[in-house]
Amino acid sequence: MKRYAFFPGCLIPARHPAMEFAIRSTLPKLGIEIVDLEGASCCPDPIYFKSKDKLDWLAVAARNLTLAEDLGLDIFTNCSGCTATLSETYHLLQDEELRDRVNRRLARVDREYRGTSRVRHIATLVRDEVGYDAVRESVERPLEGLKVAIHYGCHLLKPSRIMQVDNPDDPQVLERLIEALGATPVRHANWYLCCGKACDGEEIPNQMMHDLLATVHDEKADVLGMICPTCFGQFDHGQMKIAKLFDEDFHTPPIYYFQLLAFAQGVPYGKLGFERQRFKPVALQRYEEVAAK
Amino acid sequence: MSSSDAKDEVVRVDFAFKRELAKKVEGDLANFCYQCGACVGDCPATRYSPAFNPREIMLKVLYGLESELLGPDSVLWQCTNCYGCHERCPQEVKPVEVIISLKNMLADRGLAPPAADKVIQTFMAQGRTVPANPAIDKQRAKFDLPPMGAVPMDEILALIGPEAEEESGS
Repeated sequence: MKRYAFFPGCLIPARHPAMEFAIRSTLPKLGIEIVDLEGASCCPDPIYFKSKDKLDWLAVAARNLTLAEDLGLDIFTNCSGCTATLSETYHLLQDEELRDRVNRRLARVDREYRGTSRVRHIATLVRDEVGYDAVRESVERPLEGLKVAIHYGCHLLKPSRIMQVDNPDDPQVLERLIEALGATPVRHANWYLCCGKACDGEEIPNQMMHDLLATVHDEKADVLGMICPTCFGQFDHGQMKIAKLFDEDFHTPPIYYFQLLAFAQGVPYGKLGFERQRFKPVALQRYEEVAAK
Repeated sequence: MSSSDAKDEVVRVDFAFKRELAKKVEGDLANFCYQCGACVGDCPATRYSPAFNPREIMLKVLYGLESELLGPDSVLWQCTNCYGCHERCPQEVKPVEVIISLKNMLADRGLAPPAADKVIQTFMAQGRTVPANPAIDKQRAKFDLPPMGAVPMDEILALIGPEAEEESGS
C-alpha cells in the first residue's frame, strides 16, 4: 500500500459525507492507504478568504501543509478548491523571500514550512500512482452504455503551470477515468465553461449554469460527472433554481466521480447517499438490476 | 490639437495607489501588462457581463484609477476566479491575482460584499468555511464516518494579521 495524507477540506466532509465515504471505500481497493491529518483547518478557501488577505491565506495554507510534512507524507485533496489553495501555496513558497515572510508567521506557533510534501488532487493520484488499468481491474460491474458528460471545473486544470494536472485545452484524465469504469465519456459544447459559483451576484452565474446545462442536455447524457464539490452544488441545488427560472427541465443528475467508482466497484446504490441529491442518478440502478438477475 | 487640450488629456498616474497595491502579494504584476487582451477571449465573466473586462481592469491599475476600481459594489467581484487569464497571459501578469490583490485592498477598506464577509467570518470563528455541527456529525455517522474534528483556533488566529507578529516578535 502507498500511504498518503488525506486533506478532506470543509465542503465534502460537512455537506457531502457520501463523497468522503466513497473515497474511503474506493482508494484502499486501489492500493492507497489513507492517513488522516489531525488538526487541519479549511485550506483556506481560494475565493473569499484569499480575497481578504493573501498573506493570511498563505500562512494558514502553509500550516496545513506542515501537518503532512510532520508525517513525511505527500498530501492528496478531494476538492478542486483545496487543490488550488494548497498547490498555489506550494508553488509560491518556492520563492525564498515569500517563504521567509510566511515562516515568520508560522514561527508564532512553532512551525516551519519546508516544502517537502507534494500536493496531489485525488484524480491525478489515481492516474499516476494507481493507473487506469488497475481502476478497470477493480470494477465489478462495468457501466457499459452509461453516458457521462464531463465537467472539469476550473481549478483542477488552471493555472496549469501550478496545478500540473493536465492540458487545460484538451484534458484527458476524467475521460480516461470514466472509460475505466466501462462508461462512455461525453464532451459537451460548453465543457470549458465555469460553474459560476465564485462570481458575486445571481444573474451571471445563473446564465452560465443555464448555458452549460443546455449543452449537457443536448448530448442526452445520463449523468454529469465531476470531481469538484462546489461545481456539484451548483449543478444539483442550482439546477432546480435554473429549471424554474428559465422554465426548462434539463434533468441531468450530477455525480461525483468517486461515488461512481464506488458503485462500479460493487457498493450498493442505496449505500452511496444518492437519496440526498436533488437530481438522483437513477440511470445507475439498471446495472444493479442486471447484476441481480 | 492645441497644447492646452493635450494637457487636459494627460492621465495622472496615482502612485500612492500603485505603491499600496504593490505591497500585496503579487500586487505589482500588472506592471508587465502590455494590453494585448489575451485575457479577454477566455474570460467567462466578460462573456456574460459587458461591465467586466480584465484588460480594462489592468489598464486602470496601470493608471492607478483607484476610484474606478475600489468603490462599493466594485465590478471586481464579478470575476469568476476561473484562472483562464492566468493561463493565457503571455506576460505572466496573472490578472486574476492582481484582481485578488485589489480585493484585499477592498477588504482593508471594509468593502467586501456580504457573501465574502460571511465566509470570512465563519472561517475566523471556526477555522472552516462550512462549520461543523451535531446535525452534520449525525449525517456522517450514517456513513460510518467519525465526527468532524475540532480546529485548533488559537493556532489559526495566531497566524493571521501583522499585529500579532509584532507582539510575538517582542
